[in-house]
Amino acid sequence: MPEATLLLQFLVTGAGTGCVYGLVAIGFCVIYNASGIVNFAQGSFVMLGGVVTYSLWHALHLPLAVAALGAIIVSVALGVLTDLLVVRPLWHRRATMFVMILATLAVQIVVERLTLIVVGDAPMSLPPILSRGPIHLGPIVLDTQVAFIFAVSLLLVAGLRLFFTRTATGRAMRACSIDRDAAALLGIPVSRLVAVGFALSAAIGAIAGILVTPTQYTAYNLGVPFAISGFIAAILGGFGNPFGAFLGGLMLGITQSLATVAFGAGTRNVFSLAVLLIFLLLRPQGLLGTAKT
Amino acid sequence: MPSNIIGWARLIAGVLGLSAVAYIAVTGNYLLTALGFAAIYVVFVAALNLFMGHAGQVSFGQNAFAAIGGYGSAILTANHGWPPMLAMLASALLAALVALVVGQATLRLRGHYLAMGTLALGLISYEIAVQWEQVTGGYMGISGIPPLSIGGFAAETDRQVFLVLALAAVLACWSVWRLRRSRFGRAMGAVAGSEEAAAALGVDVARTKVITFVAAAVYASVAGSLMAHAVGYISPEVFGLHMVVVGFTMLYVGGIGTTLGPLVGAFVIGMLPEVIRGFRDVQDLVYGVVLILILIRAPGGLAGAWRR
Amino acid sequence: MSLLQVERLTRRFGGLIALDDVSFSVPSGSLSAVIGPNGAGKTTLFNLISGFIPPSEGCVRFDGHDFAGLKPHQVAARGLVRTFQLVRPFPAMSIAENVRVGTHLRTKGGVLAALLGQPAQERRVADRALQLLDRVGLASVADQAPSSLGYGQLRLLEIARALATQPKLLLLDEPAAGLNHVETDRLGLLLRALHADGLTILLIEHDMRLVMDLAEYVVVLDFGRKIAEGPADAVARDPAVLDAYLGGADA
Repeated sequence: MPEATLLLQFLVTGAGTGCVYGLVAIGFCVIYNASGIVNFAQGSFVMLGGVVTYSLWHALHLPLAVAALGAIIVSVALGVLTDLLVVRPLWHRRATMFVMILATLAVQIVVERLTLIVVGDAPMSLPPILSRGPIHLGPIVLDTQVAFIFAVSLLLVAGLRLFFTRTATGRAMRACSIDRDAAALLGIPVSRLVAVGFALSAAIGAIAGILVTPTQYTAYNLGVPFAISGFIAAILGGFGNPFGAFLGGLMLGITQSLATVAFGAGTRNVFSLAVLLIFLLLRPQGLLGTAKT
Repeated sequence: MPSNIIGWARLIAGVLGLSAVAYIAVTGNYLLTALGFAAIYVVFVAALNLFMGHAGQVSFGQNAFAAIGGYGSAILTANHGWPPMLAMLASALLAALVALVVGQATLRLRGHYLAMGTLALGLISYEIAVQWEQVTGGYMGISGIPPLSIGGFAAETDRQVFLVLALAAVLACWSVWRLRRSRFGRAMGAVAGSEEAAAALGVDVARTKVITFVAAAVYASVAGSLMAHAVGYISPEVFGLHMVVVGFTMLYVGGIGTTLGPLVGAFVIGMLPEVIRGFRDVQDLVYGVVLILILIRAPGGLAGAWRR
Repeated sequence: MSLLQVERLTRRFGGLIALDDVSFSVPSGSLSAVIGPNGAGKTTLFNLISGFIPPSEGCVRFDGHDFAGLKPHQVAARGLVRTFQLVRPFPAMSIAENVRVGTHLRTKGGVLAALLGQPAQERRVADRALQLLDRVGLASVADQAPSSLGYGQLRLLEIARALATQPKLLLLDEPAAGLNHVETDRLGLLLRALHADGLTILLIEHDMRLVMDLAEYVVVLDFGRKIAEGPADAVARDPAVLDAYLGGADA
């Protein structure tokens, strides 16, 4: 295969992973915009998406679509519980931002360990959701699952755009992201919106986890790596801007893919963490955004 | 003599705790290993307390410096035959240097950027430990690390090891206490209270933060070295995210910003695995739940309640 | 001999001019004031002088040196020390320890010295803090937490803390804001006593009564520009000043 085609192939694969990072990043932004909290438990939603789908499908022999729906419901429940049991009490105590982050990190650990106890540490994978051969676009081979990831991600992003611009709840959430105190004074029920934010972001995270599992594998401890990649994507896009975050995810996915070609698979994570540090230091407001520091 | 019930309660709790430790140390109980482990964590948590409790900064990445200490000591002693104390010193120097460079850049960040930046630091160190196989042994880690020794004296029995670790723990708490009550400690406290007011009184805020970060890195590195020598074996998991969560749990259970907090927290949480022995997977779960409950219910921790 | 010279100082925020071409000087040993309605640019002026924000144009000279590019702690090290309009105590420290922080510039020692111990210096620091607390009338609560103090007392604590640096010039940002009449009078007495001891003081004040009572020399700002300066009684009769104050939103 000629060099250029190989490169293009890696670009496409990278963009597929990037879509998943982008979805995780959107999850970060949705909660951050509603509450001002960076939810370090975001990765647990992604992990649960894959693990619960697999467990329902494999152990209970449910159809894949039903299993996926079940996983989304479990994630959303976890998101709402995190808000009710952890975030809200801390909020009422006026805890510092650092304490909030630490608490969500603790939630991540708790969910991870519970999952380990319930399903064990074996890696698990799902069959491709569409069962047909790869699509040939000229010289490039597009895996059907990657094509499916593209399609669902774009649909989700479009749907979110409608939600944030057309619905009352979506608009209220945007108002919150601009000025929470003013929004509260205007009678916007901020604490209910935070709960909606957690639920929405848990659902998006779970979908990302379900989408990505057939292309690789998932396990109880895969939440943190996905959260890190999602966070990096969110930073790249300018924190708090969901659509910038999605673009950031695409960029990160492609960069990682190219780094794998150039330096080997082992350097992938070191590379993306280095990208994070460089961005934090040089351009914390992101590529597009004017994020509040 | 204490003048009220709370005073008596403190005295009794203190005496009971000390006698329990003394009893285990003297009888050579199987709990001695767990106590030694707790003592190592006292050093790590004391540094966390210095940087976060006293200087008011945030770091989720102190495990990176423990990893430098642990791997530095392991590689220099097991593979190159250095004496343990020299290896510990060299590793601590390296940790200080890394902290100096990283601190200059990172400590300008604020809020969740600083939190995530330091978390990334810890994760990078984990990745390097896994990937740099010819030096770190990858997932397999490094074994055959000799026990601590000075001159001809080596700490070989459980009791000797514990004695050395307990001494290190006491030294760590004492030195942090000393630092806090000095000109440098006041500058730290001022930076924690209000950076603007500190600067207006002539405190170089950026410099104070970096120096505190470097000092905390040295403690963490020493804790890592002690871990390597006490266990004789290290792997990336020893210095992973687990270490950060355990450290924070100990700090908050003990009481952040207090002198005795790290000591109390490390021993209470350090003995927890013994209570729930046999359920290794449950450990981190319990740490996480305890941490969440403490953050919500008793942000002052045990030492905080003690002071009241 | 002027201790502080402000020369053609200008500060823009985006398109907004917060301070426009302001010049004045503060003679050594004087008690001067900058007054003006809210939003006149007083706090901007203080932030520029104390190095918290850089000027767009112009310069600050202090004791013969140009302050350009100095950071706040370097400004303090040269003897120009400020307080804040919103008090900023160090909440985790006792009141006495708050004041001890102020001796930072007059003491030595880092991490190593801390570990070895500096008993002689520490004794001196503790004595000095108590002395200053006694001077502002807070000696009896020295060991308590700042949270036990009222707003007026917190201001006194801030002044004691600033005095511990042994400044050549003390900049006070609205020291009477939030104080009642009794507290304001007490503050006036303290400032007058410090002035009598030879300390140079420059205060920003909204409270005209305090300024006219205390200040020898007054600079008046309005909308970022200097509209008058001179001895207090002359300024008080200046029609432009009366207009700015009476015509202003909160006269």
